[in-house]
Amino acid sequence: MTPEQEIATREKQEVQGAEKTRPGRYFVPAVDIRENENELKLWADMPGVSEKDAEVSLNDGVLTIAGKVSPAAYDKLSPLYTEYNIGNYFRQFELNEDIDEARIKARMRNGVLEVELPKREHARPRRIEVSAG
Amino acid sequence: MALIRWEQFDPVGSMLALQEELGRVLRNPAYNLGLSGYGAYPPINIFDDGEGLAIMAELPGVEPASVNLVAQRNTLTLTGNRAREEEKAPGAFHRREREFGEFSRSIQLSEGLDLEKATARFESGVLTVKIPKSPEAKPRQIAVETA
Repeated sequence: MTPEQEIATREKQEVQGAEKTRPGRYFVPAVDIRENENELKLWADMPGVSEKDAEVSLNDGVLTIAGKVSPAAYDKLSPLYTEYNIGNYFRQFELNEDIDEARIKARMRNGVLEVELPKREHARPRRIEVSAG
Repeated sequence: MALIRWEQFDPVGSMLALQEELGRVLRNPAYNLGLSGYGAYPPINIFDDGEGLAIMAELPGVEPASVNLVAQRNTLTLTGNRAREEEKAPGAFHRREREFGEFSRSIQLSEGLDLEKATARFESGVLTVKIPKSPEAKPRQIAVETA
């Protein structure tokens, strides 16, 4: 008996909106974003993207994540049956938080982009001691 | 003057061609390979690589060590667990779109494949299983002798 399927496949969503000058479909990576008092952390599923083909940038409060997949890996392959298409990944987020750009860290791990966006010191909530007078 | 095709300068152009080719056989019922069904995780693509089959599956965030592949007769079964990253830091989630959990998929393979010689590779969250054709299934050149 097969174990219960807890996980389902969601069809890849294409990037809507601004049209790209280059042909080809772009997909929206599924993301998780977690915030705590020190940082924002983002995970984006971008299977097929290696470290050198992932891009993260922060401009005017807009975080852009992008990833390229290489069609060269499919050079000698002719498809018989497919359930998913491949394409580059692209997604943007407007950040309300004040991020310390110099301390942003990003890495690719097993096809997942992980981005750590530390908040600037003054953007963090500070506890002010209330002393008894 | 040499003629150079534009695509050579434009890898995205070849991306479009590839996307069209992949879309052409998207869930093509002509190739019913006894799959456990659409919507099952992970999604898979099956290719002919000249030597045999190349089966690819997108498994982002899955540890290679947790992927389990078993070939029995003509059935290839892929199981594993997509575990959520450890959450040491506290915090609130603004987005939670990624799914986690256990998965299992079986693929019924056609005759004439040599499962003994199957190889698997996991790179950037993509699993590729290559299964060569068995020697009997490969075309064999027959020498024509003269009398």
